[in-house]
Amino acid sequence: MRQVKFIFALWKANLQAAMEFRAAFFTQIIFMMINNGVYFIFWILYFDKFNAVRGWDINTMMLLFGITASAWGIGAFFFGNFISLAEVIVGGRLDYYLSLPRPVLLHVLASKSIGSGMGDLIYGIGSFMLSGYFTPDGTLRFLLGVFAGVCIFIGFLVIVQSLSFWLGNTVALSQFALSALLTFSLYPSVLFDATTKFILLTLIPAALIGTIPAEFVREFSWQSAIQMVSGPLVFLFLSIFIFKLGLKRYESGSAIQVEV
Amino acid sequence: MSSIEVTNLQKTFQTKRKAAGMRGSLRALFKPEYNTVEAVRGLSFQMEAGELLGFIGPNGAGKSTTIKILTGILHPTSGDAKVLGFVPWKERQKLAYHIGTVFGQRPQLWYHLPAIDTFMLFGKIYELDDCETKKRISFLSEAFEIRDLLETPVRKLSLGQRMRCEVAASLLHRPKLLLLDEPSIGLDVVAKQHIRDAIRTMSQEEKVGVLLTSHDAGDLEALCRRVIIINHGQIVYEDKVSNLKRKFLTRKMVEVRYAEEVPPTFSIDGVEILKVGSYGVKLRFDTTKTPVDAVMAHLSQAGELVDITVSDPPLEEVIAKIYTANSVVE
Repeated sequence: MRQVKFIFALWKANLQAAMEFRAAFFTQIIFMMINNGVYFIFWILYFDKFNAVRGWDINTMMLLFGITASAWGIGAFFFGNFISLAEVIVGGRLDYYLSLPRPVLLHVLASKSIGSGMGDLIYGIGSFMLSGYFTPDGTLRFLLGVFAGVCIFIGFLVIVQSLSFWLGNTVALSQFALSALLTFSLYPSVLFDATTKFILLTLIPAALIGTIPAEFVREFSWQSAIQMVSGPLVFLFLSIFIFKLGLKRYESGSAIQVEV
Repeated sequence: MSSIEVTNLQKTFQTKRKAAGMRGSLRALFKPEYNTVEAVRGLSFQMEAGELLGFIGPNGAGKSTTIKILTGILHPTSGDAKVLGFVPWKERQKLAYHIGTVFGQRPQLWYHLPAIDTFMLFGKIYELDDCETKKRISFLSEAFEIRDLLETPVRKLSLGQRMRCEVAASLLHRPKLLLLDEPSIGLDVVAKQHIRDAIRTMSQEEKVGVLLTSHDAGDLEALCRRVIIINHGQIVYEDKVSNLKRKFLTRKMVEVRYAEEVPPTFSIDGVEILKVGSYGVKLRFDTTKTPVDAVMAHLSQAGELVDITVSDPPLEEVIAKIYTANSVVE
């Protein structure tokens, strides 16, 4: 309960900071929704020619986009530093979080809000509502799928960026990992061969963000339910463990910081 | 009772070595070489509760590294430390409820928000209730003269105004110990004075211990009773500030102004003449070699005195003397 109050206070401060630049905030949201919509036009054109690909039709693709965009949006809006953790570590900016009496990783992640994330979230919810799976049990499974997606996005990127404690600057590596994860999460993994599918469940766990939750919403199965629960748990546990281990090697820095 | 106990603290860093140019970059990529930098070397000291202790030294001496170990930000390579009974790197969260920190180079106030919003957020972080936080903000805004600044976005404050808010924020939760790392860096004379006055007042009123790192000797003179000077990660001097001044402030600087013109050949035995102007003289002498009364007698005999100023040399010069003495011993 203590940490929940603390997280709400951080979100409130983030929102207050965003409201200082209201025009930029709302512009980001609107343009991100347009951006996602334009990206989906490709699939509309594709399914106009072919009704389905390996059992996936336009409705399932809308569902996949809905889950991935919502998961990304929640991560970016409420835990925005999960994208820039490597920069925080390398720049010695963990000092601030370490000097306050709160869990460092949670504090860092929730201390930044990316306004466009709200655009992704609104788009994702809209995409789900139009997908044809907007039923009471479908909505419940959608929420669970989005929650799993948020955990995978954050867990995976925290693991990659925590490598900065050992390797130094991993900003470029993190951007590559982020790009790969996001790109593959927007494609159904049924399109790929067995080796690629395995990679998409482990090394780049994009299938755990998009395909598996989408299949879970489409039709309940114990296999996808187990994958959806165990995958996020493993990645979250690993991310906390590796971050804490790395924190012992944190070297701070003497860079003069001019803003937070 | 000690608020800080440090025993044989060591911290080493590995830094990558790279020769200049593209060739050096390629070599470093395939065959990296590292230097071991000993930032803190066997540091041992104590600080009493409520004490005002200055921790000074030149850039790279190990001051900030030490303070970061004492706040739990860095893990030491070896050695022991206890701050208010806690081992900082093992009990960081517990310790953080009892200490306040200010890093002059790293702001803690949210840049785009008014300071009051960060104060309220800190209230939540330190688990104060809203009523208590508001009372405390009201008290601190008087003590630091920041009442009119609290509702201005931090990005629009001057550096001096922002630093007053930073120090006030660090005192929100009534810490027993304040760790200040270069709190006056980049400030003008007036802003420095404001900060020093506020810190001194708070220390006296709330019995807050202050460990201050700075390379500004003025901070030390204005705030601290005891001083530790470190260089290359080791203590080179530890004593009361008053003793430091007595032992090393033996040189006096005198400026005098006369009613009539001063001859350009003006001189006194055993005194270094720094400048001779039309109506004034600036000179320096060592009180252990030339008695003060002899110098004053010469000055008054030379003409009708209009004004006279006697000052100590800046503390930077004193520290340089200690360093020199230390290197001679080494």
